[in-house]
Amino acid sequence: MSWVARRAAWRRRLRLNPLATHLVVGLVALVTVTPYLWLLSTSLKFKTELFTPTPRWIPWPINWGNYAEMFDRAPFGVFLTNTVIVVCGILAVQLVTVTLAAYVFARRRFRGSNVLFMLFLVQMMIPIHATFLPNFLTLRSLDLLNTRMAMMLPFFASGYGTFLLRQAFKQVPRELEDAAVIDGCGGPRFLWHVLIPLARPTLVAFGLISLVSHWNDYLWPLIVTDTPDVRTLTIGLGMFVQQESGADWTLLMAATVFVTAPLLLIFLVFQRKFIESFMFSGLKG
Amino acid sequence: MADSTAIASGPEVAARPISQAALWRRRLGGGSYVYLVPSLIFLIAFTYYPIGFSAYLSLFRWNVLNPERIWIGFENYAQLWREPLFWLVLRNNLFYAVGAIPTTMALGLFLAILVNQKLGRARGVYRVALFYPTMIPMVAAAMLWVWIFNPGIGLLNYYLGFLGVPRIEWLYSRHAALPAIIIMSIWKNFGYFMLIYLAALQGISADLYEAASLEGAGAWARFRAITFPLLGPTSLFVFVVAIISSFQVFDQVFVMTQGGPADQTNVLIFYIYQHAFRFWDLGMGATLTTMFIGLLLALITLVFLTVGRRVYYEGGA
Repeated sequence: MSWVARRAAWRRRLRLNPLATHLVVGLVALVTVTPYLWLLSTSLKFKTELFTPTPRWIPWPINWGNYAEMFDRAPFGVFLTNTVIVVCGILAVQLVTVTLAAYVFARRRFRGSNVLFMLFLVQMMIPIHATFLPNFLTLRSLDLLNTRMAMMLPFFASGYGTFLLRQAFKQVPRELEDAAVIDGCGGPRFLWHVLIPLARPTLVAFGLISLVSHWNDYLWPLIVTDTPDVRTLTIGLGMFVQQESGADWTLLMAATVFVTAPLLLIFLVFQRKFIESFMFSGLKG
Repeated sequence: MADSTAIASGPEVAARPISQAALWRRRLGGGSYVYLVPSLIFLIAFTYYPIGFSAYLSLFRWNVLNPERIWIGFENYAQLWREPLFWLVLRNNLFYAVGAIPTTMALGLFLAILVNQKLGRARGVYRVALFYPTMIPMVAAAMLWVWIFNPGIGLLNYYLGFLGVPRIEWLYSRHAALPAIIIMSIWKNFGYFMLIYLAALQGISADLYEAASLEGAGAWARFRAITFPLLGPTSLFVFVVAIISSFQVFDQVFVMTQGGPADQTNVLIFYIYQHAFRFWDLGMGATLTTMFIGLLLALITLVFLTVGRRVYYEGGA
């Protein structure tokens, strides 16, 4: 169905009173946004301003100092760099492993392919939460604890990514491959010159989901790191809370804003792409 | 492979004898396995080997007092069975699932239907406003909500007081701590559920609604007769994903309560974490891990037996 037809179709569906709909959705949206606005407001206040009998939404005078102080107390710049390295490292390797595996599962027939594909499917449902203890022991014996590599290694293969991309590769018609083979563009060259460009939207969707989910990882980095120089933003924030013993709210909220801001800004700029990706992906990485 | 053989069936090709090596190559899938090696290395090392390894370790006593592993058979399992805290932890997980999953799903579906209406330009704003919590790390969201749940100067108690609700101690209360965690998790997740339902709603043919309208069906009748049944597979899928992720709850507990007060918010993953990395009781940690994996595998089998056979691939989207 074309986009225009689809849109026209939406309008005929389940039509409800527009004003009431706006009211209800608007109210829920407002309630959902409130916590984050309160977070921003708190992060810009002076400590003395917190203890008001009624919540004060507009901080005045604005105190930018919390953000400066936060960088003095903990190396948030280093945390940010580490996060970017870990997240991009995971994605870079995933793109290779996932593309190769998806290619053979989608375009070739070989003995045991069903059983092997099962291994990929089941991995989707066995999260790091179920394997962190033995994986910790593995990394300890490899002497890789407290490195950025340790934070990336368990995520280098992705059953989910393989599954998504296999579906995209399957949609390329057989005739196209036959034509390519006759023109001498078979095998890996067909993958590189035809399949990958055609599956770009799926690759982008998978990339975004992978970035978001590993940006938000907590349990695994918590277990395999113990010095600030390798820690990521999420772990840095968790440690910061304990270090400041959870009482200095303006400072803690400034740190929380800093940890959430990069992804939220990227999300706001590319919201269409993000929403489409999460919408049709069915499942988070 | 079979197709390319069919194409290459001209006389000059057929006349060429196939070498023994080529035959073996074809039997082995013409090098297909090579493409799988990079993935399989990591899948085996970090998903499948750990499953076996933790099952093996669960048969040992291996803790701070016994740094050398001692074979004890199923003693760890028996010990857990007798441990009241273990049952409390499972009860907490169940409580979390029952409290969070139906509400999140209902809210997600309800908003998906509303956002799917003709809303003009506001639709984009609504989608962003409802979905943005998914983009926030759980740790940061937890931190933010610790501030909102603050009994003295927190936002929530203030506005509830406005409605006449007496002061609630939230994270410091035995009864309100787990509900508080559930509330923040609903806030964090319902937007994602909404998107999944939106995708499903857009896949329903408009003709059905038109036909129903012509027959004089009202909005509620159309929802009951068309939308609800056609969303069945999606709901089942969302439900399964939600159950699996409800057993993974950890970050918010770690930041908000550390399992307290009095273990009222201690959940399975936090319990494993405590055994493994606080008490350094690795044997018991492995036992719990094995039970968790067993639970997951049971769930997965159930999924494949029920929904699995109904999954089919079609074009589009």
